[in-house]
Amino acid sequence: MLGALLYLRLTSLKNQIVSRLKRLRQPKYLVGALVGAAYFYFIFFRRIGESSGSRGPQRAAAAHAADALPLPAVFAETLPLVAAVGALLLLGVVLFAWILPSDKPGLRFTEAETAFLFPAPVTRRTLLHFKLLSAQFSILFTSLFFTLISNRWSFLGGNALTHAVGWWVVLSTLNLHFTGAALTISHLVEGGVSPLRRRLYVLGGGALAVAATLAWIGRDLRAPDPADLADFGPFAHYLLGLLDHGVLGALLLPFKFVLGPFLAPDARAFLLSLLPALLVIAAHYLWVLRLESVSFEEASLALAEKRSATVAAVRDGKNPLTLARTKARPAPFYLADTGRPELAFLWKNLLSTASYFNVRVLAVAAAAILVGSQWFLHGPEPDARAARLIVTLGALSAAAYILLLGPHLARQDLRNDLLHADVLKTYPLRGWQLLLGQLLTPVAILTGLVWLCLLAAALALRPTGALAATLTPATRVALALGIAALTPLVCALQLLILNGATILFPAWFQSMRSPGPGSGGGGIELMGQRLIFVFGQFLVVLTALLPAALAAFVLIFATQWLIGAPAAIALATTVVLGVLGAEVGCALWWLGERFEHLDLSAELRP
Amino acid sequence: MIQVTGLAKRYGSFTAVHDLSFTVQPGEVLGLVGPNGAGKTSTLRCLAGIIPATAGSVRLAGHDLATAPVAAKRTLAFFPDEPRLFDYLTVRQHLNFVARIYGVADHEALAEPLLAELEIADKADQLPGELSRGMKQKLAIACGLLHRPSVMFFDEPLTGLDPLGIRRMKDSILQRARDGAAIVLSSHLLHLLQEVCSHVLILKKGEKIAHGTLAEVAAQFAHGEPGVSLEEIFLRATGGSEH
Repeated sequence: MLGALLYLRLTSLKNQIVSRLKRLRQPKYLVGALVGAAYFYFIFFRRIGESSGSRGPQRAAAAHAADALPLPAVFAETLPLVAAVGALLLLGVVLFAWILPSDKPGLRFTEAETAFLFPAPVTRRTLLHFKLLSAQFSILFTSLFFTLISNRWSFLGGNALTHAVGWWVVLSTLNLHFTGAALTISHLVEGGVSPLRRRLYVLGGGALAVAATLAWIGRDLRAPDPADLADFGPFAHYLLGLLDHGVLGALLLPFKFVLGPFLAPDARAFLLSLLPALLVIAAHYLWVLRLESVSFEEASLALAEKRSATVAAVRDGKNPLTLARTKARPAPFYLADTGRPELAFLWKNLLSTASYFNVRVLAVAAAAILVGSQWFLHGPEPDARAARLIVTLGALSAAAYILLLGPHLARQDLRNDLLHADVLKTYPLRGWQLLLGQLLTPVAILTGLVWLCLLAAALALRPTGALAATLTPATRVALALGIAALTPLVCALQLLILNGATILFPAWFQSMRSPGPGSGGGGIELMGQRLIFVFGQFLVVLTALLPAALAAFVLIFATQWLIGAPAAIALATTVVLGVLGAEVGCALWWLGERFEHLDLSAELRP
Repeated sequence: MIQVTGLAKRYGSFTAVHDLSFTVQPGEVLGLVGPNGAGKTSTLRCLAGIIPATAGSVRLAGHDLATAPVAAKRTLAFFPDEPRLFDYLTVRQHLNFVARIYGVADHEALAEPLLAELEIADKADQLPGELSRGMKQKLAIACGLLHRPSVMFFDEPLTGLDPLGIRRMKDSILQRARDGAAIVLSSHLLHLLQEVCSHVLILKKGEKIAHGTLAEVAAQFAHGEPGVSLEEIFLRATGGSEH
């Protein structure tokens, strides 16, 4: 029976690879695959080639024979601490598996697997083996991928082979532990143990371990003195004393066994660390097998349905995190029956986003910033100066982040509505009207956020020295107002590019958001497509902003001597508004025309 | 009135619809039938302005869909086989949104009887996710009817409806036709066409095989036999296969 299940897994894998290769016949995937492959080569493989070339035959020999590599001195000193901290992290991950599940967690099967395998004449043990075997496919792939990344960590000893095996041990142990935990929790639920009681047990056990460790520290270990905190070496030594002894040290021991092969600095240490690691895996395996009588089918069915709904939601362009908490709420503002139809899209899309994106919250936040800034302005020096600097830099960084990445995250526009395109196209609106309406919500949200950041930065900024002579209060006000005035257009420009890409290359857009391997999505080709897209967007934004930036620079440079910096900034802002407004207007009109002529069914035909 | 002249739709080298011409007068219901892949959905989508036609012209209530799309679309309503609703808008908010898009003044006065007629008035504050498949279909219909369209396109209108819903949908279509709307509906359910349609157009591989009143088409393929069913006529006209 297991042979049949293995056949299912291997055949599915083969067909998936074949279909991936077949779709390379389409230029959009072929180009994406080439770019993705180039990215992988330059980021991962070229470095491997270079390093093996530069280190000569010893490195190559080491890679093949898992032989010893010279261990950096600093690593040799910190290796025990890395192992202890890594073990602590693994303990944290494992604790989550016991605390988080709300009810019966179930085992992860796909809907097709539940439909075919659960009614099939197979034992639970076979199902468990199938589950574990299936996980090994992704674990092997993930181990190889992680090895590509960890191979770049020059501070690690070992080589690619020891890292790959090390990752496999870690991931396999975690997988077995999660499976065992899921079955044990199901068993506890069957026995009448409520989720609350279970969490209390786990947290209580954790608290006991912490208390015992603290008691041990109080009895046997001294408190850190200034010398321990003076440098990394003594501090690491002190920390290791905490993590390596007492109850916590005993708790972390199995996790250190699991990490042993990955952190092994040479071949001998690797071989020595394999045995305890494999014993931990074997113990987990026996634990899982002992739980084969636990009824996991019902919970697994529910889990499969939930996962399927999540995949469907992602495929439809919805946020899967918001699926469970969708509920009706009042309209963001009164929408009159007649008037500009574009506002209807603002109204609709605001309803689809988080409820705190509204004018009232914006006003409260602005008031809070105004009141809060008084502390920074009138607090005692030099603390107030440091706080002002931190707030200014933080607010400006946040504004830059929102301007650059916000348009990718605020997707309450055509990107989310593309699957409603057939409905949208029946509306009696011109393409540009529809597009403008769709852009209003993300523009409003991003502009509001940037304005709050600008307000905080403008209130906190108090330049000193030579900068104070240049950035006078009047100049600062002119700059802040100028940037605030330009923000909606800069946001609109970026959003137009993203929405424009959706209109001009809908097939690319559709393929780029295909979720998961089950849908034929993912893979190196999609990663390449995303890279091309981001690069293209960067170029277009740069080209669009260049004329406006040049005009502003020339104007400020030429006129500030005559009319003063604030007036020059105001003049430049007016001109830039005109340039950006014209660009946004032209782009809206042109993309609107393209949307009217968009033949979605033709673009998305396979 | 719907006037279609020389309509063609091509996807690359594949022709989905070829040189299609017909007219639907106010009060008429035209049934669009054909085997799978005959071009019914492509035709409907071209007529509703969802996808552009490759060639030919479509005039809706006197407005050319290509040169005056806004005016033409103001007269039409399209009802897809699957109701496409906005997840975060309640039933009432859907109607509010559509009213603004079409500029329907005092929409609440129109919406209330519409919701009552479709029996979803008690669901007015619920989201689509809380509605059954049939209720969603009714909401899509309410949205389509709110602006009192004179041209309507239905793509498989009975999908997912219960027997009572089917009866009401048929009555609703006939009522709109009696009120003067020109209606095109596409369906595989031949008994629906027999009960609702005044005219029928049979498509096969994108080409018109037959067009006329039910009696005319029946006469064309009955070869003098009395009482031949529409199903038999359809099979004779299309050869009983997709190819």
